[in-house]
Amino acid sequence: MSYCVNCGVELDASARECPLCNTPVLNPEDYGGYAALAAKLSRIPRVSSGSGKETETPFPKEKGQVETVNRKDLGILLSMVVLATAATCGILNALVFRGVLWSLTVIGACVVLWVIMIPAVIYKGQSIYVSLLYDGAAVSIYLYMLAYLTRSKGWVWGLGIPITVLVTVSLELITLCIRKLPRSFLTVALYLFTATGLLCMGLEILIDRYLERDIALSWSAVVLTVCAILDITVITMLSRRHLREEMRRRLHF
Amino acid sequence: MTKKENKVKTQRGDWYKLDLSAIVYPTLQRRDFSSVYRLSVVLKEEIKPEVLQQALDMTLPRFPTYKAAIRKGLFWRYLEPNDRPGPFVQEDVRNPCQPMYFKANNRYLVRVYYYGNRISLEAHHSLGDGTGGMCVLLTMTATYLRLLGAGGIQNGGFVLDIDSEPDEEELEDAYMRYANAKVCPPRLEEKTYRVRGTAEPFYTLNIIDGIMSVSEVMAVAKGYHATITEYLNAVLLYALLTKQREEPRVSLRPVKIAMPVNLRRFFPSITLRNFITMIYPGVDPRLGEYTFEEIVEHVHNYMRYHLNEKFLRGDITTNAATQRNPLIRVVPLFIKDYVVRLFYTRIQDRNSSAGLTNMGALKVPEGMRDYIQRFDIYMGQPFSRRTNCAIISFGDILTVNFASSIIEADVERHFFRKLVQDGIHVKIESNR
Repeated sequence: MSYCVNCGVELDASARECPLCNTPVLNPEDYGGYAALAAKLSRIPRVSSGSGKETETPFPKEKGQVETVNRKDLGILLSMVVLATAATCGILNALVFRGVLWSLTVIGACVVLWVIMIPAVIYKGQSIYVSLLYDGAAVSIYLYMLAYLTRSKGWVWGLGIPITVLVTVSLELITLCIRKLPRSFLTVALYLFTATGLLCMGLEILIDRYLERDIALSWSAVVLTVCAILDITVITMLSRRHLREEMRRRLHF
Repeated sequence: MTKKENKVKTQRGDWYKLDLSAIVYPTLQRRDFSSVYRLSVVLKEEIKPEVLQQALDMTLPRFPTYKAAIRKGLFWRYLEPNDRPGPFVQEDVRNPCQPMYFKANNRYLVRVYYYGNRISLEAHHSLGDGTGGMCVLLTMTATYLRLLGAGGIQNGGFVLDIDSEPDEEELEDAYMRYANAKVCPPRLEEKTYRVRGTAEPFYTLNIIDGIMSVSEVMAVAKGYHATITEYLNAVLLYALLTKQREEPRVSLRPVKIAMPVNLRRFFPSITLRNFITMIYPGVDPRLGEYTFEEIVEHVHNYMRYHLNEKFLRGDITTNAATQRNPLIRVVPLFIKDYVVRLFYTRIQDRNSSAGLTNMGALKVPEGMRDYIQRFDIYMGQPFSRRTNCAIISFGDILTVNFASSIIEADVERHFFRKLVQDGIHVKIESNR
């Protein structure tokens, strides 16, 4: 039977320290008496577990995990809906509305939808970065397929795929910032404003390049300026604690 | 069609509106928080899991609102019978009262654990309060003991007859029967002291149990001219006041305790669903330094003044007025969820510094007494960073169970040291 020397409460036989004040439980008998304990006290790396034999603890040692929600049924349902849509359109195209391969646009859209919903309902363990890459790849392939069907590939290589790559990279970077850097309402706003400004700038450059015009910023410069002003405001608020608190008070809802 | 089949068919068709309290708990659901409480009974012999599973399977159908799943409607959530396999008994874990997702665990909102001699029941608060949960636990324990050959265990009290039909009154929303005061007294809301602490990682619940003698605590409480509940309330207030004094603060805040009151004591009802309301005993250190004797007296007077049928009727009428308002009723559920969550986090949660519940002295049928050592009760994970305290006694054993999700155990330390100072022998058990 051990008592905490600070709190005066009796401790469980398995306790290595007082749960209230973290004072270690030291039984002199385990160290060969009081004198030996005093001599060894400075050299003890860990606290003794009491009498040496394994004592049953009042609580289990293993931690439990929260049960996960099973979305398998929803995944199967959505996959079947997408598959059925693609299949029926394919059959309609082959048997009824023949002529052009219009069903490929629907089938492609179904594939893109399915790829996008993988992380939500089918395989939740997938990294968000990989999911975004898959989404970007699926959209690029779909655009290429549209160009193939319309027999006008120029816009895909010049505009479609570069914009998809730009948006995918921007989303990856925003996700990285939100997950790895300090996160608050203000910092997320900062990442979003910055990304919006840079995305618009990239879009205008790509459009100019595609139209074979001189690369110069016009409308995106306005967006960039607005985003820069907002960024500076947010950074100032983030750096001044009093200002941050004041804003929180005034804008609370 | 046989009578049994007919009964199953009828039950499948049933559904239950959430009671007045239960409406709030699902809206507070977060990835890292559920309103889950735990009741445990410590027997004198090691638990046999296969027999416990059998007892659970036999017991749960008697409690249709516990063998249920929660679903969303357009305007309100509701409970519907759950015929999926389970729930299954499982070995206990070190971190109890984990979040309970509505769509996990085959949609069951109860968990049953065993460890050594202990059987634990965890239930989501939207199914019922501690009294309802205790009925499930004790009926299951009685069935378990009977299966092991224990004779002479009669039904009665918390042990219900598993072969009988559930009484209509057991499933009723008793609030609505008694929320009939002619006036809705306003709620008093005030920002109170909040314990500052370092949050534990996700899924961690720190437990500290204090085990003591009922007669010792009662003798000390009598010395202060108070009941055990009033005395322990005062000790918790004292611990919180000490903690607030130790912290570097510019200004002091009132210290209050949120204490659920079992309304069955004042309004006759055998409902197994929620039938509690909150009272907030507290002291305001801004008015001056309180001695411990003054705190006890203050709590004693507060309880005497507030714990009566009239005050409590007014309180539940105020709570029910919101739910009865036709304009509020037609608002879609997602808007209601948002508003309720906002109200709870901004006002209700800040209205108290800690939680304390006392289930009182538990009575079991005479034939069951010899098989039971003691009971434990945990209020579960606190919504914000603070500590919750739950008290229950059986025979001469009184257990005070603290549950918190912060690393520091300052409040618990001040609490138990005060009991030791008052001459009470306290034994501590913890999962820390």
